[in-house]
Amino acid sequence: MFKDLDPILHSQLRLAVVSILISVKEAEFNFIKERTNATAGNLSVQITKLKEAGYIEVLKQFKENYPQTICKITPAGVKAFESYVNSLQTYLKIKK
Amino acid sequence: MEEEKFSGEESLQLIQSMINRAQDKFAENGHLYLLWGWVVFICSITQFLLQRGFHLAPDQTWYVWLFTWVALIYQLIYIRRKRKKMEVRTYTGDIVAYVWIVFGITTILMAYILGSHQQSLLVNPVLLVSYGIPTFLSGIILRFKPLIWGGVFCWTLALVCSWVMNDFQLLLIATAVLVAWIVPGYQLRKKYKLSNA
Repeated sequence: MFKDLDPILHSQLRLAVVSILISVKEAEFNFIKERTNATAGNLSVQITKLKEAGYIEVLKQFKENYPQTICKITPAGVKAFESYVNSLQTYLKIKK
Repeated sequence: MEEEKFSGEESLQLIQSMINRAQDKFAENGHLYLLWGWVVFICSITQFLLQRGFHLAPDQTWYVWLFTWVALIYQLIYIRRKRKKMEVRTYTGDIVAYVWIVFGITTILMAYILGSHQQSLLVNPVLLVSYGIPTFLSGIILRFKPLIWGGVFCWTLALVCSWVMNDFQLLLIATAVLVAWIVPGYQLRKKYKLSNA
């Protein structure tokens, strides 16, 4: 039933991260962690997977001597999210 | 959050809740509306008192507006500090910031151009028209009605200037910022405190 759904996005935490990034311009790692209630380790792994898929950009920098990770959705990520939502809507319509 | 596969309905719910959660904190604390509201209010009232109470000419009293440069320096420091603390940048936040940057640049340019063409009588109504633009647009973007009405109020007072003597136009400026910036500024502060409590 979900064979058309993008496996990268069809996972709770990765979908949560992309949903947050689609609605803001950019967000810090801690902001995403707080909003998703994820552990830092798990979030870090999923962010790396999204980055490797080319769906998000990750910028590492220093803010007042502390490392800071900023995440931003890429045009490929926006496209993937749109087609994920479209497939989901089609599936839900068929089911009805 | 568990790392597992889930149903289509759950998936849509998750998307919706995350989008809401990313934007649930109201980001506008009203600080800059209050800063500029009070600065312009104090400058216009002071200039009015100097002209009507001490019978000084406008070319002797315009110096009170130099106070705005102090406010501008404070604002730059404030924004720099705020940006350092920011965990998230939203599209609406950026658009509102650019609306006010455009307002700042056009206001300085218009004041200079009108001054250099000896059109000082036009300064107050033109300023009121220009105050209305970012106030109205910010109200639309933030979906905050007091700012929308504030913008309309500035434009109305710009028209009223045609029937009011130059000195008294300063009182219209003070009234405009009281209604368009100071009152909404306090309301925004209250809303911000409630949403971030």
